Formats: sequence, C-alpha cells, structure tokens
Amino acid sequence: MTRRVLTRWLIVLLGLHGLVVCAGFFSPYNPAEQDRNHVYLPPQLLHLVDPTGHLHFRPFVYPWKLRPDTPDLREEDTAHPLPLRFFVNGAHYRLLGVFPARLHLFGGEDTRICLLGTDAYGRDQFSRFLYGGQISLLAGFLGAALTLLLGTLVGSVAGYFGGLIDDALMRFAELFLALPWLYLLFALRAFLPLAVSPLKAFFLIIGVIGAVGWARPGRLIRGVVLSAKERDFVRAARGFGATDRYLLWNHVLPETRGVILTQAAILIPQFVLAEMTLSFLGLGVPEPVPSWGNLLSNLQQYSVLVSYWWMYLPALLMVPFFLGYLGLASSLQERTETYMIERRSLGGVT
Amino acid sequence: MQPLLNVENLVKRYDGKRLVALQDELSALDGVSFSLFPATTLAVVGESGSGKSTLALCLACLEPPTAGCIWLEGKNLVALGEAERRKVRPQIQLIFQDPANSLNPRWNVLEILTEPLRLQGKFNSEGIERRASCLLEQVGLSMHIATRSPAELSGGQRQRLAIARALAPGPKLLILDEALSALDCSVQAQIANLLMELQTSLGMTYLFITHDLAMGVHIADEIAVMHQGRIVELGPAEKIVTSPHHEMTRQLLAATPSIAQATRLAREP
Repeated sequence: MTRRVLTRWLIVLLGLHGLVVCAGFFSPYNPAEQDRNHVYLPPQLLHLVDPTGHLHFRPFVYPWKLRPDTPDLREEDTAHPLPLRFFVNGAHYRLLGVFPARLHLFGGEDTRICLLGTDAYGRDQFSRFLYGGQISLLAGFLGAALTLLLGTLVGSVAGYFGGLIDDALMRFAELFLALPWLYLLFALRAFLPLAVSPLKAFFLIIGVIGAVGWARPGRLIRGVVLSAKERDFVRAARGFGATDRYLLWNHVLPETRGVILTQAAILIPQFVLAEMTLSFLGLGVPEPVPSWGNLLSNLQQYSVLVSYWWMYLPALLMVPFFLGYLGLASSLQERTETYMIERRSLGGVT
Repeated sequence: MQPLLNVENLVKRYDGKRLVALQDELSALDGVSFSLFPATTLAVVGESGSGKSTLALCLACLEPPTAGCIWLEGKNLVALGEAERRKVRPQIQLIFQDPANSLNPRWNVLEILTEPLRLQGKFNSEGIERRASCLLEQVGLSMHIATRSPAELSGGQRQRLAIARALAPGPKLLILDEALSALDCSVQAQIANLLMELQTSLGMTYLFITHDLAMGVHIADEIAVMHQGRIVELGPAEKIVTSPHHEMTRQLLAATPSIAQATRLAREP
C-alpha cells in the first residue's frame, strides 16, 4: 500500500522534473528572446472549437488585438486563428546542456504563441518558467545534498562516538539552529561586489543555504545512529574484530537511509523556496537568467500586480512541484516507520 | 589443568562521562571472581538486573570494566589497548538473546555468516564459501537458505545461524547470553542439545547465562548464582540444587517447579 503511494508520487515528480530538465524541447522559445512589440501580452488560451461551432482536432489560439475604443484593453482576434504546429524546428538549444538541437514540442507558424503571456520585455513566460525551474530546482538539489552530507557527517560522528565529542557537536548545532539564515545571507551578500556573475551567485546561494541547514538533519541522524549502534548486530560485528569505520559504514549508516531520504524530500522544496526568496529580493541569480524567484520578482511592482494578472501564473504552476515533494516526504516517512515496526515485531519475546 | 579464563574481582560501574551527570553511579558488577576450565560449561544464573549481561559484555571486551582482571590463557584482557583488544575479541564470542536483533536484517544468510571470515581476511572467496557451508552443516542448516534474509527464517534457524556465525572466527570461549530465552520449549531443547554436541566435537568452552535454573542445571557443569552484581554462590550443578546456601539460590530453586519437585521427592523417603 505505502509502496504504491510512494511510486505514484515518484512518477508525478519524475514527470514534472522531466518537463524542466528537457525545457529546451517543451518550451517553444529561447527564454531570453525579447519581442518589444508584444509586451505584457495576456496568455493565449488553447481552443478546439471555432466561433461557428466547428470542432478542430488541431488546437489553435487567437492573436490579441487592441479593442477599438480603448487605449490598452485587448481582445481575441477571432478572425485570424493561429493553429499550433507540433514538433517544429525553432530556436537552437542544448538538450540536457549537451546535445545541440532545435526541435520543439510545439510552436506557431509565423506569429509567436505565448501560453502564459509575455513579460515587460515581451519574453515568453512559459519558456521562462521551464528554464527557470532548471536553476531553482538544481539549487534545491545541490543545497539539500550539501546539507545532508554535512548533517550525516556530523550526526554520525556525534552519535557514534558520543561523550564529549557529541556534547560539543550538538551545542555547535544548536548555535546553527538559532542562526537566522536569511539575514546571514543578506550579510554575506553585502560583502560581495554588487554585480556578480550568474554562475558565482548560483554557487554562493547553494553554499550558504547548504552550509547553514545541516543542524536539523544532523540531529535527526544522530538519534538514529545512537539507537543503531546499540543494536546487537553491531555489537556482534565488533566482536569479530571490526573497526569503528567498518561498523559505521556497513551497519550503522545503512540504518539512517530512511531518515536521509525523508529529509531530502523535505529539504529540496525548502531550498527551492530559499532560492526563490533570494532571487525575488534580487540577491540571487541575476537577470536575464530566468529562475522562479526572478519570474516572481516582477510582482514587486504595483502596476504589474494590478494590471497583469497572468504574471501570477508561474507561482500557480509551481504548486504541483511542492505538492509532489510533500506527498513524497510523507509516504517516505510512513515507509520508514512501518519498516521499524515490522522489524520490532519480528523479535518475539524480549 | 590450567583454567582457560580467570576472572578476578571484576567491577563495572556506569557513570555518565558527560558535562552534566544525570544520575549517581550504578554498580552493575561488584567484585566478580571465577575460573573457567577448557571444554566445560559454567552457568551464570540470576534474576534480571543482577549484572549477568554486563558480565557478558565485559568478558567479550565490548565494555571496559572499571576494575579487576580478566585472564585469558595468561593474558590480562583489561590491560590491553584498543588495537590489541580488537585482535582478542574474535576469541571470545557472544551469542545474544534475540537473534532477530543480532542478525542484520538488511543482509542475507550468507553475508551474515561470512562477515567474521571477511573481517579476518584470511580466506579467499572460494575458501569463504567452503567454510560457510561447513559451518552451516555443523549447526544443522544447509546452503539452501544462503540467499534468504533473517526475517524469512524461523526463530530456531536464526539462533542456529547466530551460533554458526559465532563459531566462524574459531573462538575459545562462547558466551551465551540468554541465548535460549527467546525460543519456544521444543526449540530450546534442540538448541541446547546442539550446544552440547558442539562441546563434545569441538571441545568448546561455554559461559551460559540464564535466568532459568533448570536449563542451567541441565547444560552446565558448574553454576554461579548472581545477585546484585556479585556471585553469591558457586559450585557444581548437583550441589547447588541439593544443598543451596544462599537465600537467592533458594528463591531461584523455588521458582523452578521441575527442580523444586525433584528435590522434594528426593527428600521424602
């Protein structure tokens, strides 16, 4: 049962990440390509039925035109439908960052099709959303990996060796738990020159959010190690002349796998949010590189907030990603718990 | 005849080596002394909390004693450094009460069984395989179960596997810490018989720790009764049963119906 739920969440997440990883293929345009003639274009809805009531099998959109008697209100130009073309050649990109390609899932004939509308520079929001996910999710992944690496290192050493080492490391961890990481990031960012290359900024963010967050998973892992090292099979192996390193690596650390996986599913979205917060405030990866935080930073302007509602849409599209991780984390948690219970009941009399 | 193991005045206190001590010192072993001769069995009997398991952990060099000496064939194990202790540990093997807990649930039978062999590093992979099947045969199991996980074995099979694994490093002394207590009666008898067979064929020495005096009498040559970290009575098994001196021994006897009945029958002419 738990296993089925777990697989389901994994498939959902794999699908969503597939879209982002292969952003070049699924997005019709280059995310940095500007079109100053079509600024703040509303999203174009996909249609299957034309005004006369005929059903078309090829989806189409209508271009936007200004309403005759208004300065800025637009309406759909139903006289000129733009059919969607599938598997078209378009802008050059590198699939997975390696393979040069120019095939896109869909595109228009001569006019651009912007399903999520365009931003202040006429850039396609849909393409920017997919490409932006690459930056934000990668930051989440790498940040979580760094945090879990540090947390496992500190937690296992503290739990396994115990005594004064444990005391010292855990007081140190408490110090880190008390640190307000957002302000720490502000402070760190303040020391660096204003204009940092996107790559440098990216790794700076990952380094800081990864290095600050280790305390919580570290304490959890310490707890698991603490109980694992007292188990009889660890004692038995020590009795065969095993070294501490052997015991930690072969018997104790495998016990922490469930906690580490659950923590990863919790930390990745948390760190994606951290990256978004920073980029939203302009401290993250700088423009024109798209990231989810950069997309949302448009909303800082009052005029955007009031007039261009479709600039919210990226936020809405991020929700499934976070829900996916939430579901994954809870089913992983459940699996770890059932595993523990099953093992305890296996013992019989104690 | 030289004793295999000589324990002198062994003391173990648990005190928190912490910045803040949470509780007072607890004396688990309070001056334990005895000798154990090769190819014999000493049963250590006592109620729970009497220090039996602490004694087992100290003798197996898994817990450092606070004071006292453990002489194994003329070598004091307490005085050894950690690196030397690691080399000595395989000579004294411990079998635990609950085999579900003493066998890594993530490993299969073969991996579990060959762990001591791999740690010793004396064998190549072919030699390990051969030794493994030999060990399984010794305890009445076969290589058919090699790829199963411990969860797929019965309680008796698991304890047999634990015994086979403990024999793998070629120990001189086997400490059985309540090794039969988690098993049901018929399996208990089978494993007890297996242990006695192994003693005859391999000349193994046992320290048999139990709360069950009847089982102790059945399996052991000598019995030591423990109470509050001390050995209060030590002697040949028959003598302990027929003429107990200490109050604790009498209580244990009274709590063991089969023996109590036997002695009462013996007293009545």
